[in-house]
Amino acid sequence: MLRSWARALRQAVQSITRSGLMSLASLATVSVSLLVLAVVACLAVNLNLMAQELESQLEIRAFLRDGVDPAAQQALIEQVQALEGVRSVTFISKEEGLEIMRERLGEQRWILEGLEENPLPDSLQIELADPHQVVAVAEKVAAFPQVEKVRYGQGIAERLLAVTRAIRIAGLGMVLLLMVATVFTLANTIRLAVEARRREIAIMKLVGATDWFIRRPFVMAGILLGTMGAAVAAGLVYMGYRYLVRFLVTNLPFVPVASPAELMQPLGSGLLALGALLGMIGSWISLRRYLQV
Amino acid sequence: MVRFVNVTKIYPGQTKPSLHGINLEIDRGEFVFIVGPSGAGKSTLTRLIYREELPTSGQVWVGGINVAKLKRSQVPYFRRTLGVVFQDFKLLPDRTVFENVAFALEVTDASRREILRRVPAALELVGMREKANQRAVELSGGEQQRVAVARAIVRNPALLIADEPTGNLDPENAWQIMRILLNINQMGTTVIVATHAREMVDALRKRVVALENGTIVRDEERGVYGYA
Ligand SMILES: Nc1ncnc2c1ncn2[C@@H]1O[C@H](COP(=O)(O)OP(=O)(O)OP(=O)(O)O)[C@@H](O)[C@H]1O
Ligand SMILES: [Mg+2]
Repeated sequence: MLRSWARALRQAVQSITRSGLMSLASLATVSVSLLVLAVVACLAVNLNLMAQELESQLEIRAFLRDGVDPAAQQALIEQVQALEGVRSVTFISKEEGLEIMRERLGEQRWILEGLEENPLPDSLQIELADPHQVVAVAEKVAAFPQVEKVRYGQGIAERLLAVTRAIRIAGLGMVLLLMVATVFTLANTIRLAVEARRREIAIMKLVGATDWFIRRPFVMAGILLGTMGAAVAAGLVYMGYRYLVRFLVTNLPFVPVASPAELMQPLGSGLLALGALLGMIGSWISLRRYLQV
Repeated sequence: MVRFVNVTKIYPGQTKPSLHGINLEIDRGEFVFIVGPSGAGKSTLTRLIYREELPTSGQVWVGGINVAKLKRSQVPYFRRTLGVVFQDFKLLPDRTVFENVAFALEVTDASRREILRRVPAALELVGMREKANQRAVELSGGEQQRVAVARAIVRNPALLIADEPTGNLDPENAWQIMRILLNINQMGTTVIVATHAREMVDALRKRVVALENGTIVRDEERGVYGYA
């Protein structure tokens, strides 16, 4: 088994080097399609990051009725904490609420001077583990008798979630589309090599070669081409992305970006694995027709 | 070893059968000539044996196996039990003589050692050992034919099928190949030879099956070529 794969590898390297210029051309094509794929993936990762950032700002404020006794308050906090999708619950007393408001008003805090008593209710600040459950959690919280009303940016939250979902679907769709395109590029390249050797393949079959014996060198060549193309693409993306991040960090510091090192580790290895996989699928597709002897 | 039961073969797109109502039984260890004019169906008959083609109707049995019933994945293993000399040789043109013969062993995942032991022996038998490193395209027709024979015998098959194995050879080389086939037959291999080589058929007095227009017109033990 190992011996036959080693032989296949040798033959694959041979066939790639033998058709030098052709291989170079197809390598370039594969690199380009994987490059586009990687760029889209980078974009998708960062859009996702942005979406996450926006989503993470979603939180629920629950305002409590006046005169809820401390025991009932404590019970409510525990019950809310236990709800699915809740990360943390912070109790904010009327006094703390007023303090926060003062701070927020800054220069204009004189507005509050005229108040005879604190008009703010006690409240709970609820952070979410899963922003998508904001509406469901808010409804459950509102149903507790201790709660007067909840606020979570009704309307805005739903729209925000719809937008982030659309962003994710679009990113995923593009990535899938490009993957299919890359498979066909690879399949076409390998089909040329197969075409050039179709007589040989027919002879191999007549002499008693199994499909796998014939397939192996081509699959190997596909994997090699895919991986090499991926390496080139990953290198280019890394350089480009590093440059872009440096630009963004200095010029648009408030935009969240994934750091190059952080992104390239999964992207680089993912790209290599993907290149290999797509090469394998591509050669598989291009061989199918020629094995029917 | 080989049994044809009412076999008819019509190639796709043809209306006239290339073989029609063939009943034939060849026992283990036999040596059989298939003769007949060009287009009689000799090659078609051999193709049915090694399952390059399937019968349109009837059955072909080889070594107790109904070839039409073989699963796709079993076909390679079936073919490995046979040695075939193709009428058009079917060598890999840009590979050397050695590689072409070694190839029949490589597909069976034979070890390097076994390849190095058996290939030179087979080449020696057909007198091609000196040209082992020459590429197949650089050989004459007769030399290619001898390489094709070496490839067919290198696996020690139980059944050897040779389609015109001497067609491109001068009498001396033709006789040498024929002697090799007889030798292999002596050692127990069943041999089927489709041929136009009148002198050899007449001289050897082996079983002769004569085809004409896709049917068997004659089947004689110790027969002769029998065409003018
Ligand atoms: N692949 C094919 N497709 C269609 N028809 C074929 C095919 N191969 C052979 N035939 C036809 O079948 C008939 C028998 O051909 P076959 O090659 O078996 O004859 P043969 O006896 O081997 O002839 P030769 O002595 O010239 O080699 C011929 O009429 C030929 O035209
Ligand atoms: Mg013929």
